[in-house]
Amino acid sequence: MILVGRMRRAWRAVDPAGLGRIRPEIAALRPRRVELGLIAMVGLVFIFALASLSGTSTLPSTLGPFLAWMLVLLVVAHVVTRRFAPAADPVLLPMALFLNGIGYVMIARLTGDVDGGSDLAGLQAIWTAVGIAAFTMTLILIPRTRILARYRYLLGLVGVSLLALPLVPGVGRSINGARIWASVGPVNFQPGEFAKIALAAFFAAYLVDSRELLRSRIELRDLAPILLAWGVSLAIMTFEKDLGSSLLFFALFVVVLWIASERAVFLTIGSALFAGGALMAWSTFDHVQQRVDIWLDPWADPRDAGFQIVEASFALADGGLTGTGLGRGEPGRVPFAETDFIFAAIGEELGLAGSVAVLMSFLVLVGSGLRIALRARGGFEKLFAVGLTTLLGIQAFVIMGGVLRVVPLTGITLPFVSYGGSSLVSNYVLLALLMRMSHEQRTVAPGDRP
Amino acid sequence: MNKRIGRLGVVFGILYLILFAQLNRVQFFGAERLRENPINTRGLIREFGQERGPILAADAVVVARSIPSSGSFDNIREYPEGELFAHVVGYQSLNVGATGLERQYNDELAGSSIDQQVRSLGDLFRHRDTTATLNLTIRADVQRVARDALGEQRGSVVALDPRTGAVLALWTWPTFDPNPLAAADGASANQAYEDLLADPANPLLAKSFRELFFPGSTFKLITATAALTTGRVTATSPVLPDSDSYQPIPAGRPIANFAGATCGGNLVEILTVSCNTAFAEIGAEWVGPDSMITTAERYGFNDAPPIDLPAAAESRFPTEYGNRLADVQFYRADEVNEEANQEANQGVDPPELPNGDVGVYEDTARLSQVSIGQNDVAASPLQMAMVAAAIANDGVLMSPYVVSNLAAADGEIYSSADPEIWRVVSSRAIAQTMRDAMVNVAESGTARRLAIPGLVVGGKTGTAQLGTSPPNSHAWVVGFAGQPGGASEVAVAVIVEAQDGASEQTGGRVAAPIARAVIEAVMGVS
Repeated sequence: MILVGRMRRAWRAVDPAGLGRIRPEIAALRPRRVELGLIAMVGLVFIFALASLSGTSTLPSTLGPFLAWMLVLLVVAHVVTRRFAPAADPVLLPMALFLNGIGYVMIARLTGDVDGGSDLAGLQAIWTAVGIAAFTMTLILIPRTRILARYRYLLGLVGVSLLALPLVPGVGRSINGARIWASVGPVNFQPGEFAKIALAAFFAAYLVDSRELLRSRIELRDLAPILLAWGVSLAIMTFEKDLGSSLLFFALFVVVLWIASERAVFLTIGSALFAGGALMAWSTFDHVQQRVDIWLDPWADPRDAGFQIVEASFALADGGLTGTGLGRGEPGRVPFAETDFIFAAIGEELGLAGSVAVLMSFLVLVGSGLRIALRARGGFEKLFAVGLTTLLGIQAFVIMGGVLRVVPLTGITLPFVSYGGSSLVSNYVLLALLMRMSHEQRTVAPGDRP
Repeated sequence: MNKRIGRLGVVFGILYLILFAQLNRVQFFGAERLRENPINTRGLIREFGQERGPILAADAVVVARSIPSSGSFDNIREYPEGELFAHVVGYQSLNVGATGLERQYNDELAGSSIDQQVRSLGDLFRHRDTTATLNLTIRADVQRVARDALGEQRGSVVALDPRTGAVLALWTWPTFDPNPLAAADGASANQAYEDLLADPANPLLAKSFRELFFPGSTFKLITATAALTTGRVTATSPVLPDSDSYQPIPAGRPIANFAGATCGGNLVEILTVSCNTAFAEIGAEWVGPDSMITTAERYGFNDAPPIDLPAAAESRFPTEYGNRLADVQFYRADEVNEEANQEANQGVDPPELPNGDVGVYEDTARLSQVSIGQNDVAASPLQMAMVAAAIANDGVLMSPYVVSNLAAADGEIYSSADPEIWRVVSSRAIAQTMRDAMVNVAESGTARRLAIPGLVVGGKTGTAQLGTSPPNSHAWVVGFAGQPGGASEVAVAVIVEAQDGASEQTGGRVAAPIARAVIEAVMGVS
């Protein structure tokens, strides 16, 4: 009830939820007009791509309503921003919606081509709606980012608990060899996707506190936090067999620590610890060894172990510059084309043009995120923006690099693009937080000095 | 902290630049290598499974089509007429490749020819059917008649339209059913192919245009044409004395007639009874090697016929007859009638070379033998049909073709076969003389079984002896037919391989009824 009341008040308020006046140098709602234009373009591209799919018979008959549904969501997302973060950076949301849309088109196209994929497009449309809802809720419930700093230890605890949740007997589930799923009642989700945001907030708040200490000197006990993070990473890898999350989590901590302390030595220590952990994992775990072997030479066993990587490279090569055209390739030949390998499916059917567009969108998101970090007035906001951006940028890099054999393959999703509810919802929350911070920079909050 | 955040931005920039570089490597610079990787079956499967245009006989019977499949491939190829068009259309198989028209017109059927791609440029995002429909000149009804008439005898039937070169029938038995080879199940397709390969009768080979046989007496048509082109021989002169044996010059085994018969007379008469001794003399003593070679090559020997099917066989006529023996020459050398020669070869380019005399060569005896279709001369059934067609078409030999036109999926014809003259074999006058002589053969000679009341039919039989114990030979007939007073509308060649017996009657008895049935089918009489 409290929540509902708060939301209702937020919606009605002239200065909703005390979000502050837009700074005079930013013309009122100008960012939103830019955003609307960009979203309109995304919508057009989206309609055009889906229309081109209709020439092939691979689509479910229910596609029409889903198409309308997705377009409604684009508009809803924009209206929400207009209301609750009117001054925020106009590029972030269109980029995310573009990635979400291109992913949705590929998922709709893959429906029927992948195992158990009869209803993927419908489910992804629902997840997108849940994602936009989460985006809205985040903007409403967190009118000021600093609120999060207040709950740092709670967030830290929540983050670690979520990370450990899949290990709880009766709740955790193991799918495709990785124990990263939790079942609560009828709901299956990947708690790690949400843990990363909570931990980013915790790290930012914790490190902004100890920043002065870290900057002045390094004693042995100052290394405790980094060692702890390292230990938790190793634990994730050992017990959940989740290389991707382990890497992501550790990279997040090291990067935020480095920015906070402004000491390159932490980067060195972090790299050393990473190398040590990697070596240890490689010598201890068969599956890690296998991943590395495949990475070094997928052609050694192209029919079995290296199949996925080899097929992905064939798919990308088939795409060439302009792609085979939607619905005309065979992306379904690559296992997990709708999740981990959706980047290969995009490269195959939309060509280098499509894959580079995805790559550039992530780079724009990372750029915008870092710009928000640069402009942030408070230390916590700065570090939090860096953390969230790092999460997004590293996760996209690790999975795209894995598909392209730049780095060993780790099974994580491509943010906004891959099929999957947890990933989509958590990344919309992440986006909302970045936009909240962007809005704050561009407004004069009540109580702030002008 | 901002300095570090800037550096972090640089790090991300570098990381994404690496991805960008790798994307370019995989999708562009190294893509060709990946596509050609032997492990990569994408191209193969796509090509095999993609929709291809149908192939239709001249009477609109569907002989090949793609039908949507729910298996590993989007489409599989079906041949509703089974074996009937197997040697022409061929097959499209994942494991053993493609043959026939399926291979020759692969790009057009698949819609990937430059022409088709350019036409579909306008609809980048609309899935348009770019595949072509292949319309054949071959008539399924005629083809069926050829199949039924030949039955289960090894042999071939070829029917052409002499006026255009359009192939009306092209049949060989034994043949095969292409459907098992095009099956989606690779193992069963492989097995079917292995079985066909192992068959000693070689059913995969389209013998109608890819195999050579001794032409026997049908070759006398070429010798007779050569004789007329020299100007020394006309329909009525000389009159060769009756003989039962010809002694080759300078030396060799005597040449006899079938069953020791005695024959002679003018050119029309010796053609009518297919007189070996007379043609051996005509070829060696009245024509000579140069004119024989020239005429045979004008008819298409020693060259592959320009048909739009892969791997047509090159018929063979020997060109080496040794050195000329200086001190001997045929007495007819001084009887060259320059004027008659020029008149006979009117309109032929270049005109026949009148070298003034016919010399004797070390191997003139061999020339005697090839003049009656023996020794080293060998022809495909298609080649012999082309000989009849050239005679029926006033000496003009058209390029044979089986694809009438290519139509786009919307029915628009965008590429039509233009009838093309391949060779001018002889003057109109010589062709007319030959034509009349052949009509005579069908009316009162060895090809009587070819005659059809109400039609002008010409023919020539052949019996190419393969052995004498037991007697064994290829039975041949070539011929043409047309309405009285009109142009000939069909030329045929039929060979029935390795028949018992070796009399000159064999060709007329065995092959002529088959040719007659085909002519009747084309002309629409029964």
